[in-house]
Amino acid sequence: MRETGSPMLSRTLLCLAAGAALLAVAIGGASAGATAQTATAGAPDLVGLWNGGFSVRPVNGPNMPWTPDNFPVLNERAVAFQGVFDEAIAPKYDCVPSAMPALPYDPYFMEVVQWPDRVILRYEKDDVLRNVWLDEREPPLNDYTVQGFSVGRYEGDALIVETSQFVFDITGFDDYNGIPSSQLKTVTERYWREGEELRMTLTVEDPMFLREPASYTTRWLPAPEGYKLNAYECDAEGARRAVKYMIPKYR
Amino acid sequence: MKLLFWISSLAAVVVAGLVVTGFPAEAHHSSTPFYDDTQEVVVVGTVLRFNFRNPHSFLYIEGETVDGEMVEWEVEMGGSVSMSRRGWRPETIKAGDPIRVVGNPSRAPGTHGVCCAQLTQPDGSPIQLVRVEIDDVPLRLVAWSPAKAEE
Repeated sequence: MRETGSPMLSRTLLCLAAGAALLAVAIGGASAGATAQTATAGAPDLVGLWNGGFSVRPVNGPNMPWTPDNFPVLNERAVAFQGVFDEAIAPKYDCVPSAMPALPYDPYFMEVVQWPDRVILRYEKDDVLRNVWLDEREPPLNDYTVQGFSVGRYEGDALIVETSQFVFDITGFDDYNGIPSSQLKTVTERYWREGEELRMTLTVEDPMFLREPASYTTRWLPAPEGYKLNAYECDAEGARRAVKYMIPKYR
Repeated sequence: MKLLFWISSLAAVVVAGLVVTGFPAEAHHSSTPFYDDTQEVVVVGTVLRFNFRNPHSFLYIEGETVDGEMVEWEVEMGGSVSMSRRGWRPETIKAGDPIRVVGNPSRAPGTHGVCCAQLTQPDGSPIQLVRVEIDDVPLRLVAWSPAKAEE
Protein backbone atom coordinates (compact mmCIF):
# COMPACT_ATOMS: atom_id res chain seq x y z
CA MET A 1 0.00 0.00 0.00
CA ARG A 2 2.83 2.34 0.87
CA GLU A 3 4.49 1.60 -2.41
CA THR A 4 1.34 2.42 -4.31
CA GLY A 5 0.85 5.54 -2.19
CA SER A 6 4.36 6.77 -2.79
CA PRO A 7 3.94 7.41 -6.55
CA MET A 8 0.72 9.30 -5.79
CA LEU A 9 2.55 11.39 -3.24
CA SER A 10 5.30 11.99 -5.75
CA ARG A 11 2.80 13.09 -8.37
CA THR A 12 1.17 15.39 -5.83
CA LEU A 13 4.50 16.87 -4.91
CA LEU A 14 5.36 17.17 -8.57
CA CYS A 15 2.13 19.03 -9.23
CA LEU A 16 2.78 21.30 -6.25
CA ALA A 17 6.30 21.93 -7.47
CA ALA A 18 5.05 22.70 -10.95
CA GLY A 19 2.43 25.02 -9.52
CA ALA A 20 5.05 26.75 -7.42
CA ALA A 21 7.26 27.09 -10.46
CA LEU A 22 4.43 28.59 -12.48
CA LEU A 23 3.67 30.93 -9.60
CA ALA A 24 7.31 31.94 -9.42
CA VAL A 25 7.36 32.62 -13.15
CA ALA A 26 4.17 34.61 -12.83
CA ILE A 27 5.55 36.65 -9.94
CA GLY A 28 8.82 37.07 -11.75
CA GLY A 29 7.01 38.24 -14.85
CA ALA A 30 4.94 40.69 -12.88
CA SER A 31 8.05 41.96 -11.20
CA ALA A 32 9.78 42.40 -14.53
CA GLY A 33 6.78 44.26 -15.79
CA ALA A 34 6.92 46.57 -12.84
CA THR A 35 10.64 47.12 -12.98
CA ALA A 36 10.53 47.60 -16.73
CA GLN A 37 9.16 51.07 -16.13
CA THR A 38 12.00 52.09 -13.89
CA ALA A 39 15.21 53.62 -15.04
CA THR A 40 18.14 51.58 -16.25
CA ALA A 41 20.81 51.14 -13.60
CA GLY A 42 22.95 54.25 -13.47
CA ALA A 43 20.51 56.31 -15.49
CA PRO A 44 18.59 59.22 -13.99
CA ASP A 45 15.14 58.21 -12.81
CA LEU A 46 12.72 60.22 -14.92
CA VAL A 47 9.87 57.73 -14.69
CA GLY A 48 6.50 59.06 -13.75
CA LEU A 49 3.45 61.04 -14.61
CA TRP A 50 4.31 64.71 -14.91
CA ASN A 51 2.16 67.81 -14.68
CA GLY A 52 2.92 70.36 -17.39
CA GLY A 53 -0.39 72.15 -16.95
CA PHE A 54 -1.16 75.83 -16.67
CA SER A 55 -0.56 75.72 -12.93
CA VAL A 56 3.06 74.71 -13.32
CA ARG A 57 4.52 77.17 -15.81
CA PRO A 58 3.54 80.21 -17.86
CA VAL A 59 1.05 79.13 -20.51
CA ASN A 60 2.10 78.98 -24.15
CA GLY A 61 1.26 81.78 -26.54
CA PRO A 62 2.86 84.04 -29.15
CA ASN A 63 5.48 85.09 -26.58
CA MET A 64 5.79 81.92 -24.55
CA PRO A 65 8.04 79.99 -24.36
CA TRP A 66 9.57 82.12 -27.08
CA THR A 67 10.04 85.41 -25.28
CA PRO A 68 11.88 88.48 -26.57
CA ASP A 69 14.99 87.02 -24.96
CA ASN A 70 15.01 83.69 -26.81
CA PHE A 71 12.78 84.25 -29.84
CA PRO A 72 14.37 82.58 -32.88
CA VAL A 73 16.28 84.67 -35.38
CA LEU A 74 14.44 84.08 -38.65
CA ASN A 75 16.04 84.24 -42.07
CA GLU A 76 14.48 86.00 -45.07
CA ARG A 77 12.77 82.81 -46.19
CA ALA A 78 10.97 82.42 -42.87
CA VAL A 79 9.97 86.07 -42.75
CA ALA A 80 8.57 85.86 -46.28
CA PHE A 81 6.65 82.74 -45.34
CA GLN A 82 5.17 84.47 -42.32
CA GLY A 83 3.92 87.20 -44.63
CA VAL A 84 1.91 84.86 -46.81
CA PHE A 85 0.90 82.33 -44.19
CA ASP A 86 -2.84 81.88 -43.74
CA GLU A 87 -3.83 80.66 -40.29
CA ALA A 88 -6.89 78.93 -41.72
CA ILE A 89 -4.75 76.21 -43.31
CA ALA A 90 -2.81 75.32 -40.17
CA PRO A 91 -2.77 71.51 -39.89
CA LYS A 92 -3.96 71.61 -36.28
CA TYR A 93 -7.43 72.53 -37.53
CA ASP A 94 -7.46 69.05 -39.06
CA CYS A 95 -6.27 67.42 -35.83
CA VAL A 96 -2.67 67.02 -36.96
CA PRO A 97 -0.84 66.67 -33.64
CA SER A 98 1.40 69.28 -32.17
CA ALA A 99 5.08 68.53 -32.82
CA MET A 100 8.52 69.57 -31.65
CA PRO A 101 9.50 72.09 -30.40
CA ALA A 102 5.95 73.11 -29.38
CA LEU A 103 4.62 69.82 -28.04
CA PRO A 104 6.50 69.61 -24.71
CA TYR A 105 5.40 73.13 -23.80
CA ASP A 106 1.71 72.52 -24.39
CA PRO A 107 0.04 72.76 -20.99
CA TYR A 108 -0.78 69.11 -20.52
CA PHE A 109 0.46 66.10 -18.59
CA MET A 110 3.13 63.71 -19.80
CA GLU A 111 4.22 60.22 -18.82
CA VAL A 112 7.82 59.01 -18.97
CA VAL A 113 8.65 55.31 -19.13
CA GLN A 114 12.25 54.10 -19.22
CA TRP A 115 13.03 50.73 -20.74
CA PRO A 116 16.49 49.34 -21.46
CA ASP A 117 16.17 49.93 -25.19
CA ARG A 118 14.01 53.05 -25.25
CA VAL A 119 12.39 55.88 -23.36
CA ILE A 120 8.71 56.33 -24.04
CA LEU A 121 7.26 59.84 -23.85
CA ARG A 122 3.51 59.75 -23.77
CA TYR A 123 1.68 63.05 -24.04
CA GLU A 124 -1.86 63.82 -23.00
CA LYS A 125 -1.95 66.47 -25.71
CA ASP A 126 -3.05 64.96 -29.00
CA ASP A 127 -2.44 61.41 -27.64
CA VAL A 128 1.13 61.61 -28.94
CA LEU A 129 3.52 58.78 -28.12
CA ARG A 130 7.22 59.10 -28.86
CA ASN A 131 9.82 56.35 -28.75
CA VAL A 132 13.32 57.52 -27.94
CA TRP A 133 15.59 54.70 -29.01
CA LEU A 134 18.61 53.96 -26.84
CA ASP A 135 19.91 51.02 -28.88
CA GLU A 136 21.91 53.03 -31.41
CA ARG A 137 19.62 52.21 -34.29
CA GLU A 138 19.75 54.34 -37.40
CA PRO A 139 16.75 56.26 -38.73
CA PRO A 140 15.03 54.64 -41.70
CA LEU A 141 16.02 56.13 -45.02
CA ASN A 142 13.58 58.69 -46.41
CA ASP A 143 11.17 58.20 -43.55
CA TYR A 144 9.93 61.62 -42.45
CA THR A 145 7.15 62.00 -39.92
CA VAL A 146 5.36 64.67 -37.90
CA GLN A 147 7.18 63.65 -34.71
CA GLY A 148 10.43 62.70 -36.39
CA PHE A 149 12.81 59.92 -35.35
CA SER A 150 14.31 60.12 -31.87
CA VAL A 151 17.44 58.56 -30.46
CA GLY A 152 18.73 59.05 -26.94
CA ARG A 153 21.54 58.46 -24.51
CA TYR A 154 22.27 59.09 -20.86
CA GLU A 155 24.95 61.61 -19.97
CA GLY A 156 25.56 61.84 -16.25
CA ASP A 157 22.29 62.76 -14.61
CA ALA A 158 20.59 63.69 -17.86
CA LEU A 159 18.79 62.06 -20.75
CA ILE A 160 19.74 63.52 -24.11
CA VAL A 161 17.23 63.10 -26.95
CA GLU A 162 18.07 63.99 -30.53
CA THR A 163 15.27 64.05 -33.08
CA SER A 164 15.45 64.43 -36.84
CA GLN A 165 13.54 63.14 -39.90
CA PHE A 166 10.69 65.62 -39.55
CA VAL A 167 8.26 66.28 -42.37
CA PHE A 168 8.06 69.77 -43.82
CA ASP A 169 5.52 71.43 -41.57
CA ILE A 170 3.91 74.79 -42.40
CA THR A 171 3.47 75.49 -38.68
CA GLY A 172 6.30 73.32 -37.48
CA PHE A 173 7.77 75.80 -35.06
CA ASP A 174 4.80 76.62 -32.86
CA ASP A 175 1.06 77.23 -32.87
CA TYR A 176 1.17 81.01 -32.85
CA ASN A 177 3.80 82.66 -34.99
CA GLY A 178 3.36 81.20 -38.46
CA ILE A 179 6.89 79.87 -38.62
CA PRO A 180 7.40 76.72 -40.69
CA SER A 181 9.96 73.98 -40.21
CA SER A 182 11.71 71.85 -42.78
CA GLN A 183 13.19 68.39 -43.16
CA LEU A 184 16.43 69.95 -41.92
CA LYS A 185 14.90 70.58 -38.51
CA THR A 186 16.65 68.87 -35.61
CA VAL A 187 15.62 69.06 -31.98
CA THR A 188 17.78 68.25 -28.98
CA GLU A 189 16.20 67.78 -25.57
CA ARG A 190 18.04 67.42 -22.30
CA TYR A 191 15.98 66.08 -19.38
CA TRP A 192 17.10 66.03 -15.78
CA ARG A 193 15.69 66.02 -12.28
CA GLU A 194 15.83 69.12 -10.12
CA GLY A 195 14.56 67.94 -6.75
CA GLU A 196 11.01 66.79 -7.34
CA GLU A 197 10.82 68.60 -10.69
CA LEU A 198 11.51 67.27 -14.13
CA ARG A 199 13.29 69.87 -16.23
CA MET A 200 14.12 70.06 -19.88
CA THR A 201 16.10 72.34 -22.14
CA LEU A 202 15.09 72.09 -25.77
CA THR A 203 17.15 73.39 -28.65
CA VAL A 204 15.83 73.56 -32.19
CA GLU A 205 17.88 74.04 -35.32
CA ASP A 206 16.60 74.47 -38.85
CA PRO A 207 18.97 76.17 -41.29
CA MET A 208 16.15 76.34 -43.81
CA PHE A 209 14.38 78.97 -41.69
CA LEU A 210 16.45 79.86 -38.61
CA ARG A 211 19.71 81.78 -38.62
CA GLU A 212 20.83 80.15 -35.38
CA PRO A 213 19.63 77.59 -32.86
CA ALA A 214 16.88 78.63 -30.49
CA SER A 215 16.15 77.10 -27.11
CA TYR A 216 13.92 77.24 -24.09
CA THR A 217 13.89 75.54 -20.70
CA THR A 218 10.79 74.32 -18.96
CA ARG A 219 9.69 72.08 -16.14
CA TRP A 220 7.06 69.58 -14.98
CA LEU A 221 5.91 68.76 -11.47
CA PRO A 222 4.79 65.34 -10.27
CA ALA A 223 1.17 64.68 -11.18
CA PRO A 224 -1.27 64.50 -8.30
CA GLU A 225 -1.63 61.06 -6.75
CA GLY A 226 -3.93 58.88 -8.78
CA TYR A 227 -4.02 61.09 -11.86
CA LYS A 228 -4.44 59.20 -15.13
CA LEU A 229 -3.70 60.58 -18.57
CA ASN A 230 -6.90 61.50 -20.35
CA ALA A 231 -7.59 60.39 -23.89
CA TYR A 232 -7.43 63.46 -26.12
CA GLU A 233 -9.33 62.02 -29.07
CA CYS A 234 -9.22 65.16 -31.19
CA ASP A 235 -12.59 65.93 -32.74
CA ALA A 236 -11.82 66.80 -36.37
CA GLU A 237 -15.11 68.60 -36.89
CA GLY A 238 -14.69 70.67 -33.76
CA ALA A 239 -11.04 71.41 -34.48
CA ARG A 240 -11.97 73.33 -37.62
CA ARG A 241 -15.27 74.76 -36.41
CA ALA A 242 -14.02 78.22 -35.46
CA VAL A 243 -12.11 78.80 -38.71
CA LYS A 244 -15.28 80.21 -40.26
CA TYR A 245 -15.00 83.14 -37.86
CA MET A 246 -11.80 84.46 -39.43
CA ILE A 247 -11.73 87.13 -42.09
CA PRO A 248 -10.24 85.24 -45.05
CA LYS A 249 -6.69 86.22 -45.88
CA TYR A 250 -7.19 85.50 -49.56
CA ARG A 251 -10.49 86.09 -51.36
CA MET B 1 -35.92 86.62 -20.84
CA LYS B 2 -33.51 86.64 -23.69
CA LEU B 3 -31.54 89.82 -24.07
CA LEU B 4 -28.42 90.86 -25.93
CA PHE B 5 -26.29 93.95 -25.65
CA TRP B 6 -23.41 94.95 -27.90
CA ILE B 7 -20.85 97.04 -26.18
CA SER B 8 -18.44 98.66 -28.62
CA SER B 9 -15.63 99.37 -26.25
CA LEU B 10 -13.43 97.62 -23.78
CA ALA B 11 -15.54 98.83 -20.90
CA ALA B 12 -15.41 96.26 -18.20
CA VAL B 13 -18.52 94.29 -17.49
CA VAL B 14 -19.02 93.64 -13.82
CA VAL B 15 -20.49 90.23 -13.21
CA ALA B 16 -21.63 89.54 -9.69
CA GLY B 17 -20.33 86.41 -8.05
CA LEU B 18 -17.90 83.82 -9.31
CA VAL B 19 -17.59 83.47 -13.05
CA VAL B 20 -15.99 80.73 -15.08
CA THR B 21 -14.15 81.42 -18.26
CA GLY B 22 -14.91 79.43 -21.36
CA PHE B 23 -11.72 79.89 -23.37
CA PRO B 24 -8.93 79.48 -20.90
CA ALA B 25 -5.24 79.78 -21.37
CA GLU B 26 -4.80 76.23 -22.61
CA ALA B 27 -6.41 77.02 -25.96
CA HIS B 28 -4.58 75.44 -28.88
CA HIS B 29 -4.76 78.55 -31.00
CA SER B 30 -4.74 82.29 -30.50
CA SER B 31 -8.23 83.77 -30.32
CA THR B 32 -7.50 87.05 -32.07
CA PRO B 33 -7.64 85.82 -35.70
CA PHE B 34 -11.14 84.55 -35.01
CA TYR B 35 -12.58 86.93 -32.44
CA ASP B 36 -12.41 90.68 -31.94
CA ASP B 37 -10.92 91.29 -28.52
CA THR B 38 -11.77 95.00 -28.71
CA GLN B 39 -15.48 94.19 -28.74
CA GLU B 40 -17.67 92.58 -26.16
CA VAL B 41 -20.97 90.81 -26.46
CA VAL B 42 -23.41 89.78 -23.77
CA VAL B 43 -25.82 86.98 -24.50
CA VAL B 44 -28.51 85.82 -22.11
CA GLY B 45 -30.27 82.78 -23.48
CA THR B 46 -31.05 79.11 -23.24
CA VAL B 47 -28.56 76.30 -23.72
CA LEU B 48 -29.29 74.14 -26.75
CA ARG B 49 -26.38 71.70 -26.39
CA PHE B 50 -22.86 71.41 -25.02
CA ASN B 51 -20.17 69.57 -26.99
CA PHE B 52 -17.46 68.70 -24.47
CA ARG B 53 -14.55 67.79 -26.76
CA ASN B 54 -10.91 68.37 -27.70
CA PRO B 55 -9.28 70.52 -28.87
CA HIS B 56 -12.20 72.83 -28.10
CA SER B 57 -15.60 72.48 -26.53
CA PHE B 58 -18.54 74.40 -27.94
CA LEU B 59 -21.63 75.64 -26.18
CA TYR B 60 -24.72 76.46 -28.24
CA ILE B 61 -27.16 79.03 -26.97
CA GLU B 62 -30.41 80.33 -28.38
CA GLY B 63 -30.43 84.07 -27.92
CA GLU B 64 -31.17 87.37 -29.63
CA THR B 65 -28.94 89.51 -31.78
CA VAL B 66 -28.77 93.26 -31.35
CA ASP B 67 -31.49 93.46 -34.01
CA GLY B 68 -33.78 91.22 -32.01
CA GLU B 69 -33.33 88.25 -34.30
CA MET B 70 -33.28 84.90 -32.51
CA VAL B 71 -30.14 82.99 -33.51
CA GLU B 72 -27.94 80.15 -32.39
CA TRP B 73 -24.81 81.46 -30.70
CA GLU B 74 -21.72 79.26 -30.75
CA VAL B 75 -19.44 79.76 -27.75
CA GLU B 76 -15.94 78.37 -28.17
CA MET B 77 -14.41 77.02 -24.99
CA GLY B 78 -11.32 75.14 -23.89
CA GLY B 79 -10.60 71.48 -24.54
CA SER B 80 -12.36 68.89 -22.42
CA VAL B 81 -9.11 67.46 -21.02
CA SER B 82 -8.04 70.79 -19.60
CA MET B 83 -11.53 71.84 -18.57
CA SER B 84 -11.92 68.58 -16.68
CA ARG B 85 -8.91 69.50 -14.60
CA ARG B 86 -10.78 72.63 -13.55
CA GLY B 87 -13.95 70.81 -12.60
CA TRP B 88 -15.95 70.84 -15.82
CA ARG B 89 -17.96 67.79 -16.81
CA PRO B 90 -20.11 67.04 -19.88
CA GLU B 91 -23.18 67.51 -17.69
CA THR B 92 -22.02 70.78 -16.12
CA ILE B 93 -24.25 72.63 -18.59
CA LYS B 94 -27.37 70.96 -19.95
CA ALA B 95 -29.84 71.71 -22.70
CA GLY B 96 -32.54 73.99 -21.38
CA ASP B 97 -30.32 75.68 -18.80
CA PRO B 98 -30.58 79.48 -18.72
CA ILE B 99 -27.16 81.09 -19.06
CA ARG B 100 -25.41 84.41 -19.42
CA VAL B 101 -22.32 84.72 -21.61
CA VAL B 102 -19.98 87.70 -21.82
CA GLY B 103 -17.21 87.43 -24.39
CA ASN B 104 -15.60 88.57 -27.62
CA PRO B 105 -17.65 88.31 -30.84
CA SER B 106 -16.48 86.50 -33.96
CA ARG B 107 -14.91 88.62 -36.70
CA ALA B 108 -16.51 87.32 -39.90
CA PRO B 109 -19.66 89.30 -40.77
CA GLY B 110 -22.93 87.52 -40.24
CA THR B 111 -21.51 84.95 -37.84
CA HIS B 112 -22.51 84.48 -34.22
CA GLY B 113 -19.48 83.09 -32.47
CA VAL B 114 -18.30 84.06 -29.01
CA CYS B 115 -14.96 83.44 -27.41
CA CYS B 116 -13.07 83.94 -24.23
CA ALA B 117 -16.35 84.10 -22.39
CA GLN B 118 -17.33 84.41 -18.79
CA LEU B 119 -20.28 82.16 -18.05
CA THR B 120 -22.76 82.58 -15.22
CA GLN B 121 -26.39 82.05 -14.41
CA PRO B 122 -28.53 84.88 -15.85
CA ASP B 123 -28.54 86.57 -12.44
CA GLY B 124 -24.77 86.41 -12.23
CA SER B 125 -24.61 83.53 -9.81
CA PRO B 126 -21.91 80.95 -10.47
CA ILE B 127 -22.06 77.78 -12.48
CA GLN B 128 -21.22 74.92 -10.18
CA LEU B 129 -18.11 72.99 -11.07
CA VAL B 130 -16.80 69.79 -9.57
CA ARG B 131 -13.98 70.41 -7.15
CA VAL B 132 -10.77 68.89 -8.46
CA GLU B 133 -7.69 68.33 -6.35
CA ILE B 134 -5.49 69.59 -9.15
CA ASP B 135 -6.98 73.01 -8.51
CA ASP B 136 -4.79 73.14 -5.44
CA VAL B 137 -1.62 73.03 -7.50
CA PRO B 138 -1.49 76.64 -8.82
CA LEU B 139 0.14 77.89 -5.66
CA ARG B 140 3.34 76.31 -6.95
CA LEU B 141 3.58 78.78 -9.81
CA VAL B 142 5.85 81.31 -8.19
CA ALA B 143 7.73 83.61 -10.52
CA TRP B 144 9.09 80.84 -12.67
CA SER B 145 10.04 81.76 -16.18
CA PRO B 146 11.55 79.46 -18.79
CA ALA B 147 13.63 82.28 -20.18
CA LYS B 148 15.34 82.74 -16.84
CA ALA B 149 15.73 79.11 -15.98
CA GLU B 150 19.22 77.76 -16.00
CA GLU B 151 20.14 74.75 -18.01
